[in-house]
Amino acid sequence: MAVIAPTEAYHPVRDHLKLNRAGLWLFFFSECVLFGLLLSARFYLEGIQREELDQLLGLGITIILLLSSVTAFTAETAIEHDNRKLANWGLIATIALGVLFAAGVGYEWSIAHFHRDEAFGTLFFTMTGIHASHVISGIGILVLVWVQFLRGRFTGKDHWPIAGAVMYWHFVDVVWVFFYPALYLVN
Amino acid sequence: MQKTMQTGLVVAVILAVLTIFEYVFAVNFDDDTIRFIGLSFAAVAKAALIVYFFMHVYRLWRVEEAH
Repeated sequence: MAVIAPTEAYHPVRDHLKLNRAGLWLFFFSECVLFGLLLSARFYLEGIQREELDQLLGLGITIILLLSSVTAFTAETAIEHDNRKLANWGLIATIALGVLFAAGVGYEWSIAHFHRDEAFGTLFFTMTGIHASHVISGIGILVLVWVQFLRGRFTGKDHWPIAGAVMYWHFVDVVWVFFYPALYLVN
Repeated sequence: MQKTMQTGLVVAVILAVLTIFEYVFAVNFDDDTIRFIGLSFAAVAKAALIVYFFMHVYRLWRVEEAH
């Protein structure tokens, strides 16, 4: 009986990284189901109608979140190339912009004139609330990773926690890319 | 690193332009259907850029060194 030899030797670090990455993408897929259902509920219940929202505030927090994705990308790229100073500033800026975004959503909640008993109010508070909870947990993860980074934990060859946290942050940004027009811009 | 950062900045500029386009398009366009299609197109384009360039989805099936 012929035995087929493996084409590639097992490499514990590389293969572990591949598993981490695949696991994170599976998690993103399950999150897509959650956010996709919220999005479909929004259009099922309200069609393309919406209540009046502060357009400039919506645009402002959207730009803040997109900017935080750029600083997160900078942090990841910098640590990949062992540029610790730039990675440090990238992480700090991402955390700060995340806090600013969450504060913006909080302010939007405080001035929203519709009520959570209305269909649009229910959708608005649920969608922005679940998204904001992801932003806040993302900030928490980034702070944990940043503290580890300050302790000298990561190098250019070993920085999966930073890469994973940054990927999560980008995912939160992708969700908002769909939520922003659905809540603020249609109709 | 400089090349990667340049790519990131180009993507960031495209994302900013698409976001401004979304806003201006939504505020100035009257037809609901066309506005919905335009906004959907912009959102999908932005998501694709982030997933490919920032989340490095291609690394899932690329053989590479460990980091």
